[in-house]
Amino acid sequence: MKRFIITNLLAIMVLPMLACAGGWTTNYYLFHIYNDQEFSERVQKICTDNWKAYLGKSPDDWYWFNADEVIKFAQDKGDALMVSYVQNLEKYLECARSVSDERWEYPTKEDLAARSKSLQSVRTYALSKIKSRLRSQHALLYMRCNMLLGKHQENVTFWEQTATGYIETVYKDMMMNIYAGALFKTGRSAEAGELFAEMGDYNSLMTQYYKKRSFAAIRQEYLSNPNAKVLPFLLQDFVNNAQEADDATNPNAEGVGGKLFIRDISKKEALDMRDFCKQVIKEGKTEVPMMWQAAQAWLEFMFGDKHQATSDIIAAAKLNGTEPMKNCTRSLILYMTSDQAKDSEAFDNYLTDELKWLEENKDYNYVRERVLHQTLKKHYATQPSRLIALYKTCGSYQYDAYIDTMQTEKLEKYLYYVNTPGKNALDSYLKSHAKPDQYELEDLIGTKYMRICQWEKAIIWLKDIPKSFYENKGYAVYAANRSWQVEPWIKRQYLKQDVEYSDTKWQLKNNPKLTFAQEMQKMEGELNVLSGKELEQRSYALATRYAQAHFRGDCWWLMRNGKSVGDTQREGEADLAQKAVTLLQKASMSQDPALKERAIFALCYGNLYTTYWYKNVWNSETYKYDIEPDKGSQQYAALNKLLDFEASRTPAPYVSRCDEFNTFKKLRNI
Amino acid sequence: MKRITAILTTILTVTLFMTGCQRDKQLCDELPEGNAVYYWRTDLRLDSTERAFLHLYNINKVYCRYFDVVMDENGEPMPNATITFSDTLPADVEMIPTVYITIDCLQKPHKDLAAKLVKRIRQMNETNDISGVREIQIDHDYTARNMEVYYQFLKEVKQAWGGTLSTTIRLHQLSMEAPPVDYGALMIYNTGDPQKWTERNPILDYRDVAPYLRHLDDYPLPMAAAYPVFSWLRIISNVEIEHTVEASEILKVKHMVEQERENLSRSIITYHLDKDNINRYKPETYEEIYHH
Repeated sequence: MKRFIITNLLAIMVLPMLACAGGWTTNYYLFHIYNDQEFSERVQKICTDNWKAYLGKSPDDWYWFNADEVIKFAQDKGDALMVSYVQNLEKYLECARSVSDERWEYPTKEDLAARSKSLQSVRTYALSKIKSRLRSQHALLYMRCNMLLGKHQENVTFWEQTATGYIETVYKDMMMNIYAGALFKTGRSAEAGELFAEMGDYNSLMTQYYKKRSFAAIRQEYLSNPNAKVLPFLLQDFVNNAQEADDATNPNAEGVGGKLFIRDISKKEALDMRDFCKQVIKEGKTEVPMMWQAAQAWLEFMFGDKHQATSDIIAAAKLNGTEPMKNCTRSLILYMTSDQAKDSEAFDNYLTDELKWLEENKDYNYVRERVLHQTLKKHYATQPSRLIALYKTCGSYQYDAYIDTMQTEKLEKYLYYVNTPGKNALDSYLKSHAKPDQYELEDLIGTKYMRICQWEKAIIWLKDIPKSFYENKGYAVYAANRSWQVEPWIKRQYLKQDVEYSDTKWQLKNNPKLTFAQEMQKMEGELNVLSGKELEQRSYALATRYAQAHFRGDCWWLMRNGKSVGDTQREGEADLAQKAVTLLQKASMSQDPALKERAIFALCYGNLYTTYWYKNVWNSETYKYDIEPDKGSQQYAALNKLLDFEASRTPAPYVSRCDEFNTFKKLRNI
Repeated sequence: MKRITAILTTILTVTLFMTGCQRDKQLCDELPEGNAVYYWRTDLRLDSTERAFLHLYNINKVYCRYFDVVMDENGEPMPNATITFSDTLPADVEMIPTVYITIDCLQKPHKDLAAKLVKRIRQMNETNDISGVREIQIDHDYTARNMEVYYQFLKEVKQAWGGTLSTTIRLHQLSMEAPPVDYGALMIYNTGDPQKWTERNPILDYRDVAPYLRHLDDYPLPMAAAYPVFSWLRIISNVEIEHTVEASEILKVKHMVEQERENLSRSIITYHLDKDNINRYKPETYEEIYHH
């Protein structure tokens, strides 16, 4: 048996229908009291341990069931019953594999008949051995065969009349799981749900209760049995859906919004549930008051009084509950207290302990993510170095964006912060976890100075970074194949697909950012000593470089790590496009007709402006976009100027073949 | 002079007419009028609502997902999530086996993949007593990078199959060379970015369709149009989030695409047949969607 074949086909039957797509969010649900892997993991582990024990292997040995190995071992031992059991188990597993495994050879009718015949023979054999020494194993085998043969009622009868009296073993657990599936398939779904819940079979529960999750359902379940096993599952689902509803209205909840979730829980329903939780605790019938009080506190926090909720969740920690409930409560205490706490050494120390606990308990990474983005971000908003270190320590996606957009001086301070010893527990913990990659921050600080055109300072930070650092960047392909000396208004440096997506390890001649900064420093430094045509040509050359280094230029990688159509001018950065425009305007005053034409033409380049000379306006009658000129735009004025300039002369080829200019002329009826 | 002008005019008119015809001939080897659905579950089992739906809207074709082809751990394409046939289609409804192939399976050619795929479909038909199958459809989100591999694969499928072959065409594929198939099923859904689901509906938003409209008129392949009626359940932190499309949005987009290419109203498919999807929209909506 290569892997545990899930005994309950209910999950197999329905769950593949739930289309799943990856979704990014920090909006993790905090109310986790149910382990969705518990059943299958537990069963598989015990089965493996049993085989190891039979084969005399050490409990620490890695083991994967191998029928041949067990048969040989049993034969050597003279254990004929085990030999026949494993031989038949292997026959069954072969049938199960042929049902679940996918092959190019689709079974013929003869194959299906043979499978059915084989299952029947194993079933007959197993039934004949249910009074033997290995009766539990054989009974399980019998029920498995019934399951694949669709004999669900026979499984119900067999469990209720025979197997339920067996001693507690993993085989009995697996039989009970098959029995629960059979109950569901024969219409006894309530009983099935209770059994799935008791076993921790989350997948089957979700399948069964998918459309039956609500306050009313929970209340009904509770009224029929205050300790119904399905209650933790239903309560978890309800509270998490309530969190979704709350997050949809919470401006600080990232990556969520809208009314797109399946269970749109209203505030009223959430508060009804909160009150019901109070009632349940008051009645004292539940064996797990911690679960109800944690749910009540979390709902109170989201929809009611945060201060009261924090007191309630701390009180919840003292009540009875399972281990997952205790961890859930601890997570909620962290979330609520970090939301409410004032800045203090005591809180820092508490947080350090909780971060260590979360680090040790990887299953709770989601708690760290949510706490970081929802409460700690706010708590440490005025302590940027700590906040960045928290982002880095917690592996937050926001780390890169945050350091990329923060003020240069603050980043310099952060670099100092991570490179010096911590003075208290929190700082020491963070500094030991937040070491940046080599040259990562130096490059970024240098780049930030480039973004504000402080070339000298940029050079100081960039000068020691080797070119290999840039050769390992994703943008190396652009750095190696594009030049900032090419006029973008005349030639776009598109890369061929086989270049852009090749696996080539691109070699650079030097540190490209340093080269650019040095070139700009020199060219700008000389501006004051140039005049006349030299000055105009220099202005044009500088404008070319600014346009290329702009986020819409082909050499965007000089200033940014990535490119997106949604990129915009960021606060605190020099407007490189505007600088290019200013320089081009100077060049356009040239007496040299060729340079003048190039500069006037360059001023028409759309990527220099935030608004284009026209807008695409959707026409809902023609179902097409109409072009609507924006006569107030800078680009419109530039195109007009080009039109005037070219009116009395023969335009250069790059002007006459410009489709944008031709569209403009057409719209002007010229 | 008048005579020369008349001759020139005649030549010009005839030339224009012929050019138009040839262009139209390519485009408008029209598909017969008909209504169809995709069936995308892992067990073919129709309830009474679904059967009534097939009857009520004169559905004459079901594009039934037989299996997916995915990459296994050894880097070989393998079938996955094969359908079980617990039921049969009504006698007057044509079964069109459809196979979804993941993008990684066709990044490079795989020997005999087309033959294996066709052989498996034939065997599935035989084992499950499905007769009268004339056509198969391949669903694959090809890109410019693997287009050549995919088109070669389609040629091999066509050769192995012998009957009608169609493929799905996503909007972004309209700007590419047309695939070597008998016709395409234009998938007018999954138009948005799933990561930006809070901004636009990832299933369908007319603003995401509009940029592709200009390719429709000239696309040199007969096409059926497939519209979404499904909900999309996404699992985020173990809780499902549901996306659905407003009926008005579907109809708005249908109007849009048919403005650009009139014959897209001839063969209509909805994705996908399911009781919940049927109940999601009013009968008038389905009548409009299936309006030719």
